[in-house]
Amino acid sequence: MTSPDSLNSEAGFARALWDARLPRPAGVIGRAGRPAADRFDIHRNNIFASLTAALRARFPVVVRLVGEAFFADMAAIFIRRHPPVSPVIMEYGGAFAAFLKEFDAVGALPYLADIARLEWLRHLAAHGADAVPADLSPLARLAPSAMAELRFTLHPTATALSSAYPVASIWRANAVAPDLQPVLADSAGESVLIVRPHRQVLLLDLPPAGDVLIAALQEGRTLGDAAALAAARDLDFDLTLTLAALFRGGAITGFAPGHSSSN
Amino acid sequence: MPVPVPPRHGGIAPCPGQIPMLAGVGLRPRHYADVLADPGQIAWVEVHPENYLCAGGPQHHYLTQVRERMPLSFHGVGLSLGGEERPDAAHLQRLRALAARYQPGLFSEHLAWSSHGGHYLNDLLPLPYTRENLARMIDHVGETQEALGRRILIENPSLYLAFEASEMPETAFLAELAARSGCGLLLDLNNVYVSCMNAGTDPLAYLASFPRAAVMEIHLAGHAPEFDRDGLPVLIDAHDRPVADPVWRLFARMVEHLPPVPVLIEWDSDLPDWPILLAEARRAQSIVDRVHERGGGRDVA
Amino acid sequence: MNRRTAGLAIAGSLLSALALSAAPAAAEGTEKCYGISLAGQNDCASAGGNSCAGTSKIDYDKAAWKLVPAGSCATTMVTLPDGSTRAGSLEPIGS
Repeated sequence: MTSPDSLNSEAGFARALWDARLPRPAGVIGRAGRPAADRFDIHRNNIFASLTAALRARFPVVVRLVGEAFFADMAAIFIRRHPPVSPVIMEYGGAFAAFLKEFDAVGALPYLADIARLEWLRHLAAHGADAVPADLSPLARLAPSAMAELRFTLHPTATALSSAYPVASIWRANAVAPDLQPVLADSAGESVLIVRPHRQVLLLDLPPAGDVLIAALQEGRTLGDAAALAAARDLDFDLTLTLAALFRGGAITGFAPGHSSSN
Repeated sequence: MPVPVPPRHGGIAPCPGQIPMLAGVGLRPRHYADVLADPGQIAWVEVHPENYLCAGGPQHHYLTQVRERMPLSFHGVGLSLGGEERPDAAHLQRLRALAARYQPGLFSEHLAWSSHGGHYLNDLLPLPYTRENLARMIDHVGETQEALGRRILIENPSLYLAFEASEMPETAFLAELAARSGCGLLLDLNNVYVSCMNAGTDPLAYLASFPRAAVMEIHLAGHAPEFDRDGLPVLIDAHDRPVADPVWRLFARMVEHLPPVPVLIEWDSDLPDWPILLAEARRAQSIVDRVHERGGGRDVA
Repeated sequence: MNRRTAGLAIAGSLLSALALSAAPAAAEGTEKCYGISLAGQNDCASAGGNSCAGTSKIDYDKAAWKLVPAGSCATTMVTLPDGSTRAGSLEPIGS
């Protein structure tokens, strides 16, 4: 009998797959009965290559920022620390941004973790629930006094991301611009709205504290209350630009007049 | 103002679900548009259901349209049925819901394991063919068939290594598995060739002992000839090129000895343009047609 | 600003936003669902999903850890937490 941990046990096999420092399991046979422990490496290779490919597809701008070779080695470390917990590879990579934040070798790229967050949120939006953007034209006919009492239903894929770094500019320069712009000045932080109203994921710029308004609307607050919260965060909060981003992005799927009769 | 597009939802499938005894292809996102542009070119397609376990998005948009036009098969990769642990109940429920939506004509999985200790290894890993593992896999397949409310098929794997602990040949393991769980078998002829070459055994001998009566689908794919660290050849089941000639020859022989079954071309990496993939399916179909014109393949046990 | 003034400001913003949104936003760049699309546009999940295929290129001896990120970060300037601004190549960490 084999001990629970050794040669032919699944646990030993799995452990040796994740950790290349461990000896390959004995008891495996290759061509015509030859011992062929090296054949085991094909499985190790399949696992790391396929998961690295999944991360590369999910975080293309991170790849571009650090380079392919660096990314591959970094991915191998991430995969060992955070192996997939679901058989759905589409769901793999949610821990990558937090990993980058703590990963010393990219400490000189402090914005990298937020770029990964942005790419992960784009990925989530790509596969999130579908919903039809609302026809907003009736809003213009509301009594002005009723507008502050509006409550909006946001698209299920809508997310706001706020960063201390110019994440949207960095992302666009690397993902969209055909030629890399030489230098992005270190500007102020940026907030963006990520939403997929139809088939394509959109990235819309938000003014400062725009993310606060969106979060408050998502909590079900009235437009007036949400605007007050955002203005409390940033005196220069621009409601018009924030709403324009939500409207242009198809991020509103419904609205209801407030039932408040307090005024 | 965004133009409202009503989302397509529900298990709508005006097209019959049964997989025809014809050649199909594995469908990847790159070819959605090609399939939809002229759906008459291919009889059926197959997808990995794991790639559709999400709430919405383009995959569902396209797969729904494809399903409205042709039968669809699910080829699962995540259930780890050959493993020590029971298939994940939550994953089974998600698959069941997806199958309710798309009504796949066939549902297949692998003689392999891929999950252990709460982690998913994203590869189809081999297991020793022992009585203990057989009994366990029969349970896992039974549990899966119960959860999904349908018969599933199990595919023979590509092997790079074998285990000293194995107590029976793979074909005996599969025969017992099919007989005792009631599952069907998916005969992957590229896997047969890859495994036999890697082990130094004879693919025809393997096929002679294969439980043919349980075969309900055939897979064909390309493999990559590589070298192991000793410089000895090893074939990798890479699905990144056309089907190899020796695999076509195995297919032609098997068609003569099997009742008609659906056959599928799998191509997953370095995807070709659609016409090249379609040509592979047509080549498979022409082999089937030639044999059946001669009257072979129909009533052989 | 009293409640009524605030309410009117909100109404003004909302109407302006509606006017600004006559054209819906388009995706960045030339997003195409099929085939090769620009990096970052994973809308079609054309890569990075489940597969039953193995990997043809076997990397038996993985190269040593490459310490220096060597991508386009060299063209992005940032200010580090200590206030210094830097661009360009990065020093290996811990070497």
